[in-house]
Amino acid sequence: MKKFSWVFHLLLSIYSLFFAAPLIWMALSAFKGNDEIFDKPFSLPHSYNFKVFLDAWSVGGLSKYFINSALITGISALVVLLSASLAAFAFSRFDFKGSKQLLMLFMIGLLLPIQSYFISQNKLFEYLHLKDHKLSLVIPYVGLGIPLATWLFKAYLDSLPKELFEAARVDGGSDFAMYRYVAAPLLKPGIATVAVFTALGTWNEFLLAMIYIQNESYKTIPIGLLTFSSRYSTDYQLLFAALTVITIPMIIIYIAFNRQIVAGLTEGSLK
Amino acid sequence: MKPSSRWTPYLFIAPALFFFAFAVLLPMVGTVFASFFQWDGFHEPIFVGFRNYGRALQDTIFLQSFWHVGIYVIATIFLEVAIGLILAGIVTSRKGFNSYRIALFIPVLLPTVVISVLWRFVFNADFGLIKGFLDAIGKPEWNHVWLGDKRFALLAICFVSGWIYAGFYLAIFYAGLQRVPKEITEAAAIDGAKSWKIFWKIKVPMIRRVWEVSLLICITGGIQGFDLFYIMTNGGPYYATEVPTTYMVRSVFRDGEVGFGSSLAVIVTSAVLIIGFVYSKVRAKSAEAVEY
Repeated sequence: MKKFSWVFHLLLSIYSLFFAAPLIWMALSAFKGNDEIFDKPFSLPHSYNFKVFLDAWSVGGLSKYFINSALITGISALVVLLSASLAAFAFSRFDFKGSKQLLMLFMIGLLLPIQSYFISQNKLFEYLHLKDHKLSLVIPYVGLGIPLATWLFKAYLDSLPKELFEAARVDGGSDFAMYRYVAAPLLKPGIATVAVFTALGTWNEFLLAMIYIQNESYKTIPIGLLTFSSRYSTDYQLLFAALTVITIPMIIIYIAFNRQIVAGLTEGSLK
Repeated sequence: MKPSSRWTPYLFIAPALFFFAFAVLLPMVGTVFASFFQWDGFHEPIFVGFRNYGRALQDTIFLQSFWHVGIYVIATIFLEVAIGLILAGIVTSRKGFNSYRIALFIPVLLPTVVISVLWRFVFNADFGLIKGFLDAIGKPEWNHVWLGDKRFALLAICFVSGWIYAGFYLAIFYAGLQRVPKEITEAAAIDGAKSWKIFWKIKVPMIRRVWEVSLLICITGGIQGFDLFYIMTNGGPYYATEVPTTYMVRSVFRDGEVGFGSSLAVIVTSAVLIIGFVYSKVRAKSAEAVEY
């Protein structure tokens, strides 16, 4: 039955090599000077000097981009989790006038590409002076994350037995108490999923960040890295170091939480 | 369930609705509205009816951009979805392949900017990894300025896209294949069916819903693709990798054509919504036909 194992192993190994080569090359090149990068692309670096990562981090300004990204990601994810779970609770558990129509409105958001609104959003934010502040990106990112978050939370809540909530009601629980003490604790698996896709989406978002942030000190990692790469366009070692410094921590976090992260990024698309 | 007061459900929804309406719905209506005006974003807008749309449909660069994105979508159906499915088949065929599945997902979570900058280096004609490889196998004459060459630039981007997302579809198909009941595949195996036959004739048809959704994501996501194109080539060389979204951004933010750019946005959005709508219709029909 299992006799072709080695064929599969070989196929997977070849694919993985092709797959991993750019990443390994990136990490190794961070230790090489320009001549070594040009002349010996495949060799191991002749010395390992970790100071270059420090240079990219502090002199190159990555630390600043990192802090901005962390701040915006944290706030956006919190606001999305809170507001989407509240809305999902109402949609899932209450009968009220217009609930179908309102839900439809949110569901439209699941289909809408960012292109359908970013041009006018830009004009609107310009008009209201919302561009180019430290937290400018929070509002668009929250708007971006809410439809899928609401929808996923609603799906989780719909699957809970209604007796849970009816019992709480009989005990005299208010609407908010039911959300706080019955729904919210049961949403935990959903919270991990929603937090992952909101946080990663925010962390990596590029188009809106490029349009809304010009001020160097408010840039997030994606646009910051682009600035970095044009400023140090020929210092390849430093650029490889910057790419590596951004990539490695993300890979470590991913390896630690791979189940939640894969679920977070695929679940929304499967439903 | 009845809320304790008539107003509480609306209070629960209010914060989400505020952000969503303010950041998405209102600007979306604004974009449709703006598409009927000639507007540079500063002076008084001039109502022009459907003229922006007429202009878009005669704009050769815009029409070409759809051709490019079409090539991209078809290429990525093979490089992402098909390869993802094959990888999933291999990974689920026996134990001990899980680490591959986990590793191949890594690019999905990295910022596209990081990946694009890295691959710009990989394709670099002076020191790139591909140049190094061609030198090593003794074929330096095969080297090209990959991203600066009209013949290769678009294919190069498709290739990178496959590199990123094959692992994503692998994860999706893996989840689907896990849900195929063991009894069915075991029964087939007892009847003497070979494992590749079990995969193609039993498992793949059974996860029909999964690959249908995957195709939908690949197509609609491809039409919206922006980051890779913008960072790797910015539509160049000579518009060879211009896609609707990069052309839209160019029109609005470089040429200051807010009205015209909005009409492009409406056209692209309509394309995405129509495909989504057709998909849901086809799916509803097929769901009636075969229920496994």
